[in-house]
Amino acid sequence: MFNSVDTDGLQEKFDAWIGFVEANHHGKNDRINQEIAFEPLKNPLSESTMALVTTAGAHLDDQTPFHVETVAGDAGYRQIPHDVDQSRIRFTHTHYDTSSAEVDSNVVLPIDRLSEAVAEGRVGAASPFHVGMMGFNPDPSELQDVSGPAVAAMLAEAGVDVVLLVPG
Amino acid sequence: MCHRSVGLVQGAIERAGMPTVSLSLRPEITYGVRVSRAAYARFPMGNPFGEPNHPEQGRLVFGALLDLLEEATGPEFVELPYRWRRWEKWL
Repeated sequence: MFNSVDTDGLQEKFDAWIGFVEANHHGKNDRINQEIAFEPLKNPLSESTMALVTTAGAHLDDQTPFHVETVAGDAGYRQIPHDVDQSRIRFTHTHYDTSSAEVDSNVVLPIDRLSEAVAEGRVGAASPFHVGMMGFNPDPSELQDVSGPAVAAMLAEAGVDVVLLVPG
Repeated sequence: MCHRSVGLVQGAIERAGMPTVSLSLRPEITYGVRVSRAAYARFPMGNPFGEPNHPEQGRLVFGALLDLLEEATGPEFVELPYRWRRWEKWL
């Protein structure tokens, strides 16, 4: 196992960041997970179906791009099929440098890495689709109250057992 | 802000009964939003799985996240040892 992160000072940095967001984006920023939910693995990974979720603004060329023009953000989500032609994946996000993702979408949505893990037998199966979201949400209320539970229900419905999440 | 969004969605998925793991490039945000399993990598924003077209880097990071998913018996926030542009030490 790896070393734990040194958490000394992180809460103060987080509080300062929340203050920055409130001052610059006028959002409501009191949203965190009130308790850390921890769900143990039910089955070995080699028998589990895995989905990927990225907030890097990933969507397909024929899907509506995320709304990035205002501080309203966009709490929406898009399905990206596991076996999609990856040249069709677009990144609409104005708060990180998308140039690496545009060259190789696997740097934020590691579909090929998941395929390899399935081929090796390390992971049981890939979800039929993954989820693209756009993480710039100064007011995260809708994200926490509506989109998060909707994405969770959609993945559960698709038979997903475990989920790996990636920021932009 | 992507990190807070990841954390809030991660919490929703975990509460729905699916174990989760996430990657983080901003440890203070991941820590503050509170998640079940996360791994911090000291990489530039936009490159959580390494440099584009270097699958060997992404494989290392992806494998580390699978390890964390398998081995954590309670909430864990770990730091990955890999360093940007000094991959040869681990590859």
